[in-house]
Amino acid sequence: MDMIKGHQELVAALRKSGDVIEVTRQVDWNLEAGLIARHINETGDRSALLTNIKDYPGARMHASPLSNYRRMAVAMELDPDTPPKKIIDEYERRVRRPIKPTLVKDGPCKENIVKGDDINLLQFPAPMVHDGDGGRYLATWHVVVSRDLEQRDWVNWGMYRCMVHNEKYLGLLTLPGQDIGRQYLKYQAANEPMPVAICIGPDPCSAAASTSSPGAGVSEADIAGAIAQEPIELVKCETVDLEVPAYSEIVIEGHLLPNVRVVEGPFGEYTGYRTSPRDPRPVVKVSAITYRNNPIVPIANMGTPVDECDILFSITWGMDVRQAVSKLPVAAVHIPPEACGHAAVVAVHKIYEGIAEHVANAIWGSKLGYLMPFVIVVDDDVDPYNWNEIIHAMFTKLHPQRSLHARHCTPGHGLYPFLSTYERKWGIASNLLIDLTWPIDWDKNIDVPQKASVRGMYPRGLAEKVVAGWKEYGF
Amino acid sequence: MAKQYDTFVDDLATLPEGKEVVLAVRNLDDFKTIAVKAVVSSTGEEDDLLWLRFSRGRLRDKPWRIKVIEELPFEALFIESSVLQ
Repeated sequence: MDMIKGHQELVAALRKSGDVIEVTRQVDWNLEAGLIARHINETGDRSALLTNIKDYPGARMHASPLSNYRRMAVAMELDPDTPPKKIIDEYERRVRRPIKPTLVKDGPCKENIVKGDDINLLQFPAPMVHDGDGGRYLATWHVVVSRDLEQRDWVNWGMYRCMVHNEKYLGLLTLPGQDIGRQYLKYQAANEPMPVAICIGPDPCSAAASTSSPGAGVSEADIAGAIAQEPIELVKCETVDLEVPAYSEIVIEGHLLPNVRVVEGPFGEYTGYRTSPRDPRPVVKVSAITYRNNPIVPIANMGTPVDECDILFSITWGMDVRQAVSKLPVAAVHIPPEACGHAAVVAVHKIYEGIAEHVANAIWGSKLGYLMPFVIVVDDDVDPYNWNEIIHAMFTKLHPQRSLHARHCTPGHGLYPFLSTYERKWGIASNLLIDLTWPIDWDKNIDVPQKASVRGMYPRGLAEKVVAGWKEYGF
Repeated sequence: MAKQYDTFVDDLATLPEGKEVVLAVRNLDDFKTIAVKAVVSSTGEEDDLLWLRFSRGRLRDKPWRIKVIEELPFEALFIESSVLQ
């Protein structure tokens, strides 16, 4: 099967699977389109191709492209009904074999090229996503491409919010703990503008890869190829020394100016809150825009779960956590979408005391340590994909004095809602390990309570027989 | 008809009334960030409307008024800084 090469091709695939509707009545780019995306996310409904946008005749937007596992399965060319664990297992299988991209001479994103005085970011229906946001966020589902100043073969792909200031300037959230922040600080120290390319509406595998955290020196383009199971086609930019996915709907080229800030934000974020204030942040001066004919502007509306970030974090960060704990006796890992990427639930084979600390240290010692303040460790009889089991363990096995292990002055970032304003400003966080495993020195026959469940309190043969013959009871 | 703008401010003391100030405001027609030299006031019925939002986006109940003296180039909003937060 051929990969889904671009966003228009994703919409076609979603149409085929029945996971998108077309909205032909007029929709306002100012809040209404964002609200539709938000309601889709909060109800789990189908995504929506909006084909009649106020003030923008002929323009199209796509609300909530990948905010549930069904659409993620379609993007990975799996059966839409594939359960989350199988999607994540398949993702892990694929990314074990990174595939380098190929450079092609031309691509759909070059169907229209605008430079110089003709540049106008407002020619596209940039949505006002939430009421009270700091501006119109044209890029909410995209890849920001940048190249390291020193390690020239390290090209970073990430998804960082982009706010339209005016026709020719964009605000770009650039946090110091992110790869783009690390790269930008090098350019800034050299007082050089940093070339960037913002690829709006790329193929879904590139978008997914851009949310992974393979770490400095690893290019997400190779991960995107792995997810797609074939090389991502890239084309050279017009005005910056970068390559971009050839099927991107819109590519904005420009430079992140060194040592210059303009007020940006606030924005309703993936944590489900508008946490960071309007503050001086880096700014991009646009040097070219290229785009497909009749491009689609996607809207990924970040907020309360479940949105695109929650789904992608559960997959891509889930993979990163699995790698971080791969040498430990771990049974299963899940990043529940409802926790916005803030928590890992790890089921362990408890063969030694302190394993929960070991797991937490491994996660917080990885790049995710900056992004994931909560680690929940459960015994291997708890399914990390099952919230009911996790909550049950939480309120029965948690010892209020013994099970909670807080760490202070850990790395974090300004979007954590639970931090004070000062802590957010300087990225001073705290982490919490919740250890829901039985102590190793509790005798299994004397001290450990027996779980009163189908699996825990009946002879295995009888339990299997009753469950297998369930309908015969008349249920 | 009065034009409508907004700006983000937590502490109203940082928005001096009756004096010329350079401000980042948004035109509420298209939400572009624009730099203006203007005089603002919390009272009065003439001049254009200036809605005020707290820095995390919450709208204050009562708009102020703004008299735009001059629209400045966008670069007037540039803040020289190496801090990344």
